[in-house]
Amino acid sequence: MALLNKKSKAALSDPLMNNNPITLQVLGICSALAVTIRMDTAIVMTLAVVVVMSISNTVISLLRNYIPGKVRIIVQLSVIASLVILTDQFLKAYMYDMSKQLTVFVALIITNCIVMGRAEAFAMQNGPWRSFLDGLGNALGYGMILIGVAFFRELLGSGTIYNFQVIPDSFYLAGYENMGLMVLSPGAFIILGLIVWAHRIAAKIEED
Amino acid sequence: MRSNAYTLVFTMAVTIVLGFFLSLANSALKDRQELNTQIDMKKNILQSLDFSPSEEKPWTPEIVQAIFDDYISSMVVDKDGNIVEGKTADDIIEGNNEFPVFVKTLNGTVDGYAIPISGKGLWSTLFGYFAVESDGMTAKGITFYSHGETPGLGGEVEKSWFRDNFKGKRFINSSGALIGIQAIKGGVDESSVDAYHQVDGISGATMTVKGLNNFLLKDLKNYELFFIQIRNNTGA
Repeated sequence: MALLNKKSKAALSDPLMNNNPITLQVLGICSALAVTIRMDTAIVMTLAVVVVMSISNTVISLLRNYIPGKVRIIVQLSVIASLVILTDQFLKAYMYDMSKQLTVFVALIITNCIVMGRAEAFAMQNGPWRSFLDGLGNALGYGMILIGVAFFRELLGSGTIYNFQVIPDSFYLAGYENMGLMVLSPGAFIILGLIVWAHRIAAKIEED
Repeated sequence: MRSNAYTLVFTMAVTIVLGFFLSLANSALKDRQELNTQIDMKKNILQSLDFSPSEEKPWTPEIVQAIFDDYISSMVVDKDGNIVEGKTADDIIEGNNEFPVFVKTLNGTVDGYAIPISGKGLWSTLFGYFAVESDGMTAKGITFYSHGETPGLGGEVEKSWFRDNFKGKRFINSSGALIGIQAIKGGVDESSVDAYHQVDGISGATMTVKGLNNFLLKDLKNYELFFIQIRNNTGA
């Protein structure tokens, strides 16, 4: 079997473009608003979700034939919750300042609908390798939008990209001001809305 | 449909395996996490006492520890405001009416005192430090290192725009009575006679700020006699 046959490739690439969890399924919006004020938090959050989703999908896929139907949701949830706690503990030990900035949002990955959604809808029916790819793809699809939103919010709201100042001081002297709105949640809604719009046009998606 | 016994055994097995991994991670990472918390507290003490990181000296754990060791010493005072000889903040026994004070010394003279503050906000207990100038009556700074308030609302207490308001405010009135510092709704009217003990509140965080006003006063009461002694000694 090739490492990436057609179906596996689709599992990885679909959620990036044609079936992006945020722009098309509109899942995981809560954290997309909360951690996108700056790019560094968005990137760490993306990594956390990548780790949690790819491992949880793999584990649940491996267990899928043994999980009793009536307790499957709670089993999925325990696997996901344990992985999230591990990630959180790891961040607290090795990236303390970052974990303080992300506050509750790492722990809230547990309730991110994308994670449980993929476990229930994909990992329960597919093999571990393809489930891993599906988890990875969805997490990256989520992260891509997160980082995109963060890019515009940081640029317009703070005049920096990844904490490097990109708007020259001369602009500020000439009267340019950072948009305070971008640092607040409404700014995220506006950017996210524009990204959803642009993405749907690019992916040629039409509402039924 | 599988049998109930199978379901029971399966869930037990899952719980045990997951529990094992979690406790493993917890015990393996605990030391590092505690060190991080310690450094973070020290960072807050330094910040409340007007230290700030610079380009060439970012606050890595080693640098924080070094600055702390160089400039800060801790002592313990009792309810009567007397210094308990031979004790440092590490020797405090809870509930013994002993309170830690972190003293910043600059070129041999005292530059300020930081005291721990804590109390209920809206959702959580806030923990932080309140620093007082060497005159024993003027606020030097305030920081929070742990809270569970709503980010953007009550969580704003940790932002510099809010904390900077406290600098230079006085927590005693003209006759020397302790009145604390109040964050008030709306902005402070600078022409008001009360402006010297008031700071701008946070919109959308009335309960958090109310809690802060209360516990700041409560904690300052514990140190009231200590600061009176300081004021008498400096002749203010």
